[in-house]
Amino acid sequence: MRSGRILEPVWTPLVVLVGAVCLALAAWAGWRAVRDEPVILKQLLLGGVAEALLVVQLVVAGVLAATGRGPADVPTFWGYLVTTLLVLPFAAAWAFAERTRWSSVVLLLAAATVAFLQYRTLQVWVGP
Amino acid sequence: MSVHGTPRTAPSTPPASASGPGRVLVLVYGLLAVAAGARSAVQILRDLHEAPLAYVLSGVAAAVYVLATVALALDGPRWRPVAWVAVVIELVGVLAVGAISLQVPELFPRATVWSGFGQGYGYVPLVLPVLGILWLRRTSRGGPGGPR
Repeated sequence: MRSGRILEPVWTPLVVLVGAVCLALAAWAGWRAVRDEPVILKQLLLGGVAEALLVVQLVVAGVLAATGRGPADVPTFWGYLVTTLLVLPFAAAWAFAERTRWSSVVLLLAAATVAFLQYRTLQVWVGP
Repeated sequence: MSVHGTPRTAPSTPPASASGPGRVLVLVYGLLAVAAGARSAVQILRDLHEAPLAYVLSGVAAAVYVLATVALALDGPRWRPVAWVAVVIELVGVLAVGAISLQVPELFPRATVWSGFGQGYGYVPLVLPVLGILWLRRTSRGGPGGPR
C-alpha cells in the first residue's frame, strides 16, 4: 500500500500561499457583495495571480510525481489540481456575464472552493 | 419589465433561471456536479467491486447534477421541464438514500453523494434541490423573463 506517505515539505507553503490569495479574493468579493457591487477587473487580476501560482503547483507536483515523491491518492490529487485550475476562470466568465452583486457572490464561492480544495490536497497527499 | 412591442435591449440577458441569485445557484450546481462527477468516476473506474450499488448510484447522482446545471443555465421552454425533473430527482434521491443509508447501512458500505443526507458534502446535496425548486417556482411566476 502507498498510504501513509510523507508530505513533501515544499507542498505546504505552496498551499498556504494559494490559500491566502484565494481567501483574500473571497473576502474582497464578499465585501463587494455586501455593498451591492459587482466583480471588477482588479479582482480578476488577483484571480490571475492565484492561477499563476496554481500552474507553479502543477509543475512542482509533476516533478515530484515523476521522481517518485508524489501524493498517495494519485487520481484524487490530480483531480483536485486540475479542478482548481478551472474553477476560477469559469467562475470569472460566469460572473462577468451579469455584473450585479450576485457576480460577487459567485466569485466569493469560487475562490472559497479553490481554497478548500487546496486544503484537501494536503490530506490526500498523505493518504486517501 | 415587459418587452412587449420593443426589441430586447440586452440580447445577452441571461435566461430567468440563470439570472440574479440564479447565477449563484448554477455555480454551486456546477461545482457539485464536478465534485460528485470526478469522485464517482474515480470510484467506478477503480473501486467498483467494493460497493457497486453505492458507486453506481453516485455516478447517477452526478449525472443528474450535470443535467440540472445545464438546464438551469440555459432555461427556456425546453430546458425548464428538464430542470424541474432534475431537481425533483435530487430531492427524492437525497431523502430516500439519506434515510436508507441510516436505516440499512449495509446496503451502502461506502459513502455516496446522498448518504447521510449529503453529509460528506456539507449537506449541500440536501439544501440545493430545495433552493432549486423554490427558485424555479419563483422565476416561473411572471417575473421579468418569466415563463414563455
